[in-house]
Amino acid sequence: MAYITGLAHDESITHDVLVVGAGLAGSWAAMTASQQGVRDIGVLSKLHPLRSHSGAAQGGIAAALNNVRPVAGTGPRGPLEAVPPGEEPPDSLELHMFDTIKGSDWLGDQDAIELMVQEAPQIIYEYERMGCVFSRLADGRIAQRRFGGHSAPRANYAADYTGHVLLHTIHEQALKQGVTFYSEWYCLDLIIEENICSGLVALDVVSGQLHLMRAKAVVFATGGYGRAWKITSNATANTGDGVAIAYNAGVPLMDMEFVQFHPTGLYGKGILMSEACRGEGGYLRNKDGERFMERYAPEKMELAPRDLVSRSEQTEIDEGRGVGADGQGVFLDMTHLGAEKIMKRLPQVHELARDFTGVDIIKEPVPIQPTAHYSMGGIPTNADCQVLADAASTPVVGFYAAGECACVSVHGANRLGTNSLLDASVFGRRAGTAVAEFVLGGAPLAAVAGDPVEKNKTRIAQYANGRSAQNPQRVAPIAAELKETMTKNVGVFRQESRLQTALADIKRLQTRFADVQIMDHGQRFNTDLLAALETEHLLTFSEVIVVSALARTESRGAHYRTDYNKRDDEDWLKHTLAHRNGVDAPVLSYKDVTIFYDRFPPQERKY
Amino acid sequence: MANHEPTQKATIRVQRFNPDVDPKPYLATFEIDITGDTTILDALELIKGTLDGSLTFRRSCRHAICGSCAMNVNGRNMLVCNRRVNALLDRQGRVTIRPLPYLPIIKDLVVDRSSFWEQYLRVKPWLIPPATNGGPMTGEYHVLPEEVEALKMAETCIMCGACYSACQVVAMNKQYIGPHALLKAFLRVLDPRDAAPAERLANVGGEDGVFRCHTIFNCIDACPKGLDPTFAIETLRKLAQKRQAFEADRLERQKSL
Repeated sequence: MAYITGLAHDESITHDVLVVGAGLAGSWAAMTASQQGVRDIGVLSKLHPLRSHSGAAQGGIAAALNNVRPVAGTGPRGPLEAVPPGEEPPDSLELHMFDTIKGSDWLGDQDAIELMVQEAPQIIYEYERMGCVFSRLADGRIAQRRFGGHSAPRANYAADYTGHVLLHTIHEQALKQGVTFYSEWYCLDLIIEENICSGLVALDVVSGQLHLMRAKAVVFATGGYGRAWKITSNATANTGDGVAIAYNAGVPLMDMEFVQFHPTGLYGKGILMSEACRGEGGYLRNKDGERFMERYAPEKMELAPRDLVSRSEQTEIDEGRGVGADGQGVFLDMTHLGAEKIMKRLPQVHELARDFTGVDIIKEPVPIQPTAHYSMGGIPTNADCQVLADAASTPVVGFYAAGECACVSVHGANRLGTNSLLDASVFGRRAGTAVAEFVLGGAPLAAVAGDPVEKNKTRIAQYANGRSAQNPQRVAPIAAELKETMTKNVGVFRQESRLQTALADIKRLQTRFADVQIMDHGQRFNTDLLAALETEHLLTFSEVIVVSALARTESRGAHYRTDYNKRDDEDWLKHTLAHRNGVDAPVLSYKDVTIFYDRFPPQERKY
Repeated sequence: MANHEPTQKATIRVQRFNPDVDPKPYLATFEIDITGDTTILDALELIKGTLDGSLTFRRSCRHAICGSCAMNVNGRNMLVCNRRVNALLDRQGRVTIRPLPYLPIIKDLVVDRSSFWEQYLRVKPWLIPPATNGGPMTGEYHVLPEEVEALKMAETCIMCGACYSACQVVAMNKQYIGPHALLKAFLRVLDPRDAAPAERLANVGGEDGVFRCHTIFNCIDACPKGLDPTFAIETLRKLAQKRQAFEADRLERQKSL
C-alpha cells in the first residue's frame, strides 16, 4: 500500500526502519534502504510527501559535471558555453570542495565535504536515470549556471524549479520501489533509552489516534526551522519538530547559532526569489540606484556567498539607503536580462514577483530583503548519518539523521546555494545504506519501557484543558511574539544585549505557553493541536539558538556579532553542542572540526 | 515591520463540516480587516488564529509550489495562497470558500484525496528507463531542448487537485483516470528516456482513460500553473491509436540517448 492515512485502531506498529520526513533526504533514505534489501520500511510525513519543502528549492543542485564554462575573455559576468567533449575541464571536485569549505568559513568538516562533492556527479546521473526533467544545452547535456560562492558554473538546473522536479522524481521512484508512506502522520516523540533508539510516538492526524511505532532504526529527515522568524522563505510546516524532539530525547543539537538569511526574499513576505536571479546576471541596487556590492565584495559582487550579501544589504538598510515603505529592503534588478531569458530560466520568480508584489521583473526592479532561509545547525551526525550523542562522537544506537535537520557538518557556518539539494540527496542515500547495513547485519528490536503513548496523551490533554489556568493562553499570539523577537534580535547582525533580550522574551513566552489552551478539542484532523505542538518546538530550539549565539564571541559565516566582529580561529574553530538540561539553560560543549591542514588550511575569507 | 496600507472590512464565508458533530455542512461567516495585500490564505490563518481555532484547512509553502491549498472560492477551484481577498469580493463584499467539490469531506476545507492519488499511481508516474547492464550511470542522457519544450511544462504540475476536482467527468465517475494523472502520463510518454510508451498508451487508451474526456476545459480553467491537461489528453488520444509505431520510433531514438 503506497499511502496509509486515517488508521483508527490503536495497536502499536512495528517496522524494521522508520523514516520521519518525506522530502529529498527521507525519500532517498527509504528508497535506498529498500533497494539494498530492507523491505519493511515506513515513512512518516506530517504533510503529503509531495508537499515537502524540498519542492520549494529553485536555483539548482551543485555538481562538477564540467558541461559549461565561461566564454574566454568575457569576464565573470559573461556568457557561458558548452565545454566541447575532450577539452580541458574547467571545474573539478577539488575546486567544489574548496569553494564549500571557504563558504563554510572553515567550520565545515572537510572529510564529509569531500565525500559530498565526490558523490555529486553520480547523484545527478541517478536523477537523470530516474527521469528528472532538467534544462538542457543544445547538445542535450544538462545545463549549468553560475551561483554565489562557486568559482565555476556548476549549478545543474531545471529552469527555476529544480527542487520541485527532484522531489516529484524521487517520490515517484520511492513509490516504484514499494515504499509505504504514512501520509499526514506527525511524529511527536522519540524514544531513546540508555543511548538506544527504539522507536517513536506518532499522531495520525486524520483520525487523531496516537500510535506507538517501534523500529530497529529511525531516520530523521525532518527539515529546517525558519518559522521561528517572521520574515522567512520557509513553509509553515518548517517548525523544526525533529530537531526539538531529538533534543527533548537527550540528543544534543550542533551549531544552532548558524542560521542563513537568504539575501533575496520578497519584501515584506520573505518568499524566495532564487539566487539564480543573480546567477543569471541580476544586480542589487540601493535607493540611489547604486550596485552597492562593489563596496563589499568587489570581485564576486552579487555572487558572493549569501551571508556576506545579506550583511551588505542589511548595512545599506541600516545606513538609510534602503527601499520600500519602511526602507527595510533593497532592489533586485533584472531589467537588463531581457524577457526571453527571464521567461525561459526564471519563470517561477517572474510569477512570484507578479502575484505577490505586483512587479513585472522584466520591466522594473523588485524590492527584496534578507529572509530566514536555511538552518546550518541541527542534529549532529557522522558522515554515515549516525546521530552523535556527545563531543566524543559516541553514536546513538539505531538513530540516524539526514538533510537540513542534520549537521554533519558540510555547510559549517554558511551554506553555498545549490549545496543543500546535494546534501539532502547524498546523505539521504548514505543514511539508507547505513540503516540497511545495520538492519541486515542483525540489529535487534529494542524494548520500550513504560507507556510513551500514555505520556503523550496526557501532553495533548493538557493543551485541551489549558492546565485549568486562570488565564488560558492562545497559541497564535505567542508564536507571533516569538517571531517578532527572533526577527529583531537574532537576525543578520547580533549583539549581546539584543541576544539577551531575545532570551528573556523566549523564557517569558515559555512560561505563558505552559498555560496554553487550544480552541479545537476534537480528535479528527486537529490542526489547532498541531499548531500548539509546533509552537512548543519553536520555543524549544529558539532558546538553543540564542544561548549558542551568546556563547560564541566571534563572527563566522552567518553568525555575525557587531560586538565581536572578527573570526577567531584560536578560540572558536570548533562546533557548538547543546544538551538539554531540564528546565535550566542548555549545557554547551564543543567538538573539533575535521580539517585537512595539508590541503585546505584555514585562510582569510574574502570575496 | 509595520504595514502602512489602509485596512478595509471583508466578509469571509467558509463552509464548515465536522462529520463527528455536524449533521451536515453549513456556511459560517466571519468579519475581518484586510489590506490590499491580504490573501485568502492569510484570511483563513487570521480566523483560525484569533477567532475559531477549529477552522481546518491544508496549507504549507504559501507561494504556490507545494499544492496543499487548492479550494473552491466563489464557485471556482484555485489555490488560496496566491489570490488576494480584495480581488475576489463579490458585490456584497463577501468571499465564499468551500472545499474542493466532488470529494468526500474529512473536515471543513480538508477533503479525502484517495481517488486522486489512486489514479496518479495507476498511470505509473515514475520513469521507466531503458534497460542497461545494471551498472551505475556514468553520464547523462542527451535530451534535446526541443524535446523538453514538447513536454509543455507538464513537469511543473504541483498535483494540487484543482483540475481533478473541477472535472465533470470525475464528478460522475471516480474510475476516470483524470486530468492530473493523464498530464503525468503525457509527461512520461513523450519523454525520450521512457522505454515503455506502448504499455502506457494502452493503459490510458483503455476504458477509463483519454477517451472519457468530454473536452469541457474546466481543467485548463482551474489550473493555477497555466497548464493544459486537455492538450495532453488530445495528444495521448492520437498516439494511443498508433502506439506500436510510436514505441518503435522511441527505441530508435534511444540508440542515440
